[in-house]
Amino acid sequence: MSTLINIICSSDPSIKNRSLDEFCNQASLGELLTATRELELYRKEETNLYNRVRALFFLYAIHRFYIPVKGKIGTEGIIPFEAYEHILNRRFEEAITLFLTVQDSKGANEGISSGLADAYHQLAFQTLADQVKLSVRSTAGNKWMFRVGHPLDQPLKINSALLRHDEQTGIYPCLHETTPVRMDLSHSGWSDIFFLGMDYPEGAKVLNISVNLCIRNPLKNTEPKPPIETWFRIIDEPVIRLTSIDLATSSDITSLPEVFDFAKDYLGLLKAALIASGIVPPGMEGAGLPLSALLDNMVGQGKGIEISSKVNNIPKGSRLAVSTNLLASLISLCMRATCQTEKLTGILNEEERRLVAAKAILGEWLAGSGGGWQDSGGVWPGMKLIKGVEAAVGDPEYGISKGRLLPQHTILDTDTVNQLTRKKLQDSLVMVHGGMAQDVGPVLEMVTEKYLLRSKNEWQARNNAIAYFEEVVQKLKNGDIKGIGDFTHKNFEGPIQDIIPWASNLYTETLINRITEEFKDKFWGFWMMGGMSGGGMGFIFDPAYKQKAQDRLQQLMSETKKKFEHAIPFAMEPVVYDFSINENGTIADLGTGLNALMPMEYYTLLLPGILKKDLLSLTECQRLELGIIGQAYKLDDQYSGFVNNLFDRMIPQERESNNRQKPLNKLLEELGFNPDQHEKIKKELKSGRIGLSKNRLPISTTIEDVSTSEISGQEVLEDQRLIDLGLNSLRNRELAIVSLAGGVGSRWTKGAGVVKSLNPFVKMDGRHRNFVEIHLAKTEKANLSYSTKLQHVFTTSYLTNPAISTFLDGTNGRPQKPEIHISEGKVIGLRLIPTERDLRFLWEEIPHQVLDEQSQKIQQSLHAALINWAKGAGEGEDYRDNLPEQCIHPVGHWYEIPNLILNGTLRKMIKDNPNLKHLLVHNIDTLGASADPALLGYHIDQQKSMTVEVITRKLDDRGGGLAKINGQMRLVEGLALPDDKIEFNLSYYNTNTFWINIDKLLASFGLTRDELSDIQKVESGVFKVASRMPTYVIIKDVKKRWGKGQEDVYPVTQFEKLWGDMTSLPELPCAYINVSRMRGQQLKDVAQLDGWSRDGSKEYIEGICDWD
Amino acid sequence: MQIKKALITAAGADQRKLAMQTLVDRDGNRKTVLEILIDEVRQAGIEEIAVIIHAGDRDVYKGLISMDQQIHFIEQDQPLGYGHAILCGLPFTGKDYFLHLVGDHLYVNKSDIPCAKHLVEIASQNNCSVSAVTPTRENLIPNYGTVGGKRVPRTKDLYVIDKVIEKPTPTLAEQKLIVPGLRTGHYLCFFGMHVLSPGLMQILKQNLEKSDGRKIGLSEALNQLATKEQYLALEKNDWRFDTGSRYGLLKAQLALALSGSDRDQVMAELLEFFVMKNMNSIGR
Repeated sequence: MSTLINIICSSDPSIKNRSLDEFCNQASLGELLTATRELELYRKEETNLYNRVRALFFLYAIHRFYIPVKGKIGTEGIIPFEAYEHILNRRFEEAITLFLTVQDSKGANEGISSGLADAYHQLAFQTLADQVKLSVRSTAGNKWMFRVGHPLDQPLKINSALLRHDEQTGIYPCLHETTPVRMDLSHSGWSDIFFLGMDYPEGAKVLNISVNLCIRNPLKNTEPKPPIETWFRIIDEPVIRLTSIDLATSSDITSLPEVFDFAKDYLGLLKAALIASGIVPPGMEGAGLPLSALLDNMVGQGKGIEISSKVNNIPKGSRLAVSTNLLASLISLCMRATCQTEKLTGILNEEERRLVAAKAILGEWLAGSGGGWQDSGGVWPGMKLIKGVEAAVGDPEYGISKGRLLPQHTILDTDTVNQLTRKKLQDSLVMVHGGMAQDVGPVLEMVTEKYLLRSKNEWQARNNAIAYFEEVVQKLKNGDIKGIGDFTHKNFEGPIQDIIPWASNLYTETLINRITEEFKDKFWGFWMMGGMSGGGMGFIFDPAYKQKAQDRLQQLMSETKKKFEHAIPFAMEPVVYDFSINENGTIADLGTGLNALMPMEYYTLLLPGILKKDLLSLTECQRLELGIIGQAYKLDDQYSGFVNNLFDRMIPQERESNNRQKPLNKLLEELGFNPDQHEKIKKELKSGRIGLSKNRLPISTTIEDVSTSEISGQEVLEDQRLIDLGLNSLRNRELAIVSLAGGVGSRWTKGAGVVKSLNPFVKMDGRHRNFVEIHLAKTEKANLSYSTKLQHVFTTSYLTNPAISTFLDGTNGRPQKPEIHISEGKVIGLRLIPTERDLRFLWEEIPHQVLDEQSQKIQQSLHAALINWAKGAGEGEDYRDNLPEQCIHPVGHWYEIPNLILNGTLRKMIKDNPNLKHLLVHNIDTLGASADPALLGYHIDQQKSMTVEVITRKLDDRGGGLAKINGQMRLVEGLALPDDKIEFNLSYYNTNTFWINIDKLLASFGLTRDELSDIQKVESGVFKVASRMPTYVIIKDVKKRWGKGQEDVYPVTQFEKLWGDMTSLPELPCAYINVSRMRGQQLKDVAQLDGWSRDGSKEYIEGICDWD
Repeated sequence: MQIKKALITAAGADQRKLAMQTLVDRDGNRKTVLEILIDEVRQAGIEEIAVIIHAGDRDVYKGLISMDQQIHFIEQDQPLGYGHAILCGLPFTGKDYFLHLVGDHLYVNKSDIPCAKHLVEIASQNNCSVSAVTPTRENLIPNYGTVGGKRVPRTKDLYVIDKVIEKPTPTLAEQKLIVPGLRTGHYLCFFGMHVLSPGLMQILKQNLEKSDGRKIGLSEALNQLATKEQYLALEKNDWRFDTGSRYGLLKAQLALALSGSDRDQVMAELLEFFVMKNMNSIGR
């Protein structure tokens, strides 16, 4: 048995827990390839699910991190499009087979390994997700729901107490549930991830507390309350009415398919609860029968169900599992209403709580959200230990995974943790929401991967976290809150960041440092809640200082947010909470008569719609209820202010949209927006003359790959003559660096609108660094190494200029250097609402990664909703319904080079340094692009206008590349390729790094360096070339924030010209060179960071930087 | 062990009139539901029968049933539930095992052995309480008392009961009442016929004492019985008709007629009815 298979199969922990690195670091390329062949055979035959998954992760890691750096591997290689298509369609086994066939026939190479790594990685997660899905479906209490396919088979009946009208008021009673949220006191290394609990139950444990909350208001005496409230009642209409009061959405569902349409509106969780609780069992999806048949059977003819929810003032990203507990609350409510609990009201018993938790997992899977197994902790009362449990005979997981899907909850009673300790904890802890709302999904994937790979440091960290957990529990039992703070702090600084460095960020660390400085020994420790820091967080203080700390933290968070808000994606203003421990868990009461009314916000939301109706069209219950409300608002304090709120709801929307438009129009005017040009583009887009499909070159275009022999390779890096040539040029200060920083990097923050180049995403030399800092540190290193003083330009746009200028202006403790220039972009566009045609082309014509079955359904539902939005809002019309900065866009990096000429930056640089001859232009996210003497020497030696750096293609490198178009070698954008398959025939990918000869470039604009001050000539020259460049229609995602930390992502149309198309100009001859991946790699997505830091790329970048 | 006593309950507010309804039995004789049940009981070798009736109904029954010395009527003086109705029979059953049937159900056996007779034989052989059960689809179980347990080794139709829940939801049934060997989504539901031990009466008595005037059920008591004594379920695939359900009486009558001596005549008349109805509908 090979070493790796032995590690996987062994039951001896000292072998099983050995890391993959240990073997791979020693192994030769041949040994690695042999190991992958053995693992491939093994994983196909292995019946144990987790062994199979671990083998898949080993295979992924070997192809991702080890084979590509083993030297003799081929760098060239075409990735078969067919295999790529298999991956997109989730046919991972077929993709792997095809990749392996190519590897067997042509030998290992980077491209094929990247494909294999991706396929193995996705297959591993798919296998794990399938197992969780199976376990959820197989859980007793859930299974029957998948068998009920016809409304007449619905066995559930509504509790008779809910079907009886109140004799006095005539309205139906209302079942009301309140549910706390949960906080995790231990954070034992994300051990509540389902996969971990099921493979390593002995290591899966958390200390979880149910809490009431309110946002602290020093001016008001507010009491923490269970933040989640849900309501269930019968209505006299044959519909299911769902209302989310806090998200201000209500919908009447009249057909079964609507219940399963999760992304249509903001009611996905309510729909998931309807399904998971069995009211509309999952087996009815696609039944094609009317909803009324189901309601007639369950509730009675002509009657329906109304379910409402309200989350009181907890913003998204709180790390308190709000959505899971909301779902659990709704499920509990629906179970009570359908006699699935022993009692209609009061608290649940342990079995019922477990069932609610199991159904909540099902609901989360259905609605495409996710959480850990501790997240429904709010259903349980007070403090509890939640631990993984080994699967036993009778469990659906038995024989498949070591652990059960559902953990064991042990409530810590007051004998174990006394009242005094509970009070001390409440008096010491300051809970906050820092304002960041980030997607923790990638973090959870990284944790799973690292657990299964058992890398030495991370495995040690996990063991330390487990040891800390035991300490925290012991300290809690002893009433030692200071000791708890000590451990949660150590946990954050140690194990948590050892496993996932990205769990921390500059914002959080700034807060911790400031608090430590100010409160010294009165600050007992930081406590990270949930998946990552920046959102929900805890700070533990000496109780005597809690109030002061609350005040200070609010100020400090607001100040720090203001400082970083252009660089770090904040979703909302930070807040401090007041909290108390909830000793009930989820609990329900039944309101009858006048107590069966809904809260005031409900009526504020729904009444405008009801009032528009003819009184005769209202149902009897609605009329009765309106009558009661009409009295209640006069007499009941609870409804005071109701009429004012109602008017505010009915009238202010217009006011708001008017307010928004003013700054947008003003901004457009200030930025020199050209409305005539814009109208022309709009007209063309609407008529279909331009559009996504029209970006493409004619189908008759000949597109061929470029062979290795046609371009230069890395051998030039060792040519001493070229190195000397470059060194000489550097010493003469003939080179300047141009970092393209006009774009905001929408993929990096998923359209959040912060400046990517200033995002402090990685720690280097002991501090968080952003892209700008790293590029400056490289220039600093070049200055020191080559005895030069390079000029460095950052090109900006209206979106990035203020923030980058502020960052570089010398007021942030950073010296202002005359060699650093900012070239401000002047051209902007106004985003448009996309056309249905373009959206369909993007989502239906262009190959896309098909998602997991349920996620795919949700995505399709979302796409349908967005197409409806585009049609409703006006296809091809201006996109104005957002913050002004989110409505306008930079028009592509092509303009960033001509802007240097147009705005006088180049003229100034030449004036400062007349020796300047060349520019090294690169994207802000190409961290490896440096002033390499050999490459500069090569560029000079070639005597071309431009030298373009390319890299060999890997699977993720999408977006065009180097090709011969009708015989001419040039860069081609992915958008322009007539067929998606063609890209996979191109061996080289464009890094967007260019060495430019300034005089030759100017000549192509019809200019000389002496004519740079002739504005008219400059403008005319730039305009002429611009008109020859293609304009691409593209669709980007833009976030719209609303409510309390809620974010919607909308597709918008914008227009761009791209610099790579300059290579098509015959008067601008270019040379091409294949550089190493570490130099050419671009960081487009935060999910790349972990791999980037592990595959040696980060180390490489640190090596070419100087931080002194 | 010999079982000589039977207890029929017909005291429920919804039930009291059903036992008095007249049907035609398998032999073509007009009889009340109660009389048909008494016939079933007699075939099982029962000698003495007590009928628990609603307070004040005694005279009505006396006028309807041809009385003999072995039939006793016991009035349930307070409406305290099904369990209490059975407990009212305690002076009659004493320390004996007894057969129990509900007065609003009718049974039509598919085989030659009457259901009650089969049940009494099994109880006598095993010296324990036995309930007749029938596999029921999960969408119907919220209507019945349902049992969980395991098959008795080397038997085809006997189960050891370890749990009884009255009208469970499928959610609960799936957690507590799975019986190995049954088809997916099927549970063993009461057939409305039991042989019960004197131990049950003690449990009912205790439950009544603790009830604070609330109604007491039979299923809860049977669930307790399962923890104290051996308690078996006999799987029956015969027909059982709840005469109180919609068309329940009609269905029971049809089943009796179609399995009895007038089968051909009833079939012919039904056929004629259908033919005439169809011809009318096509305008002839």
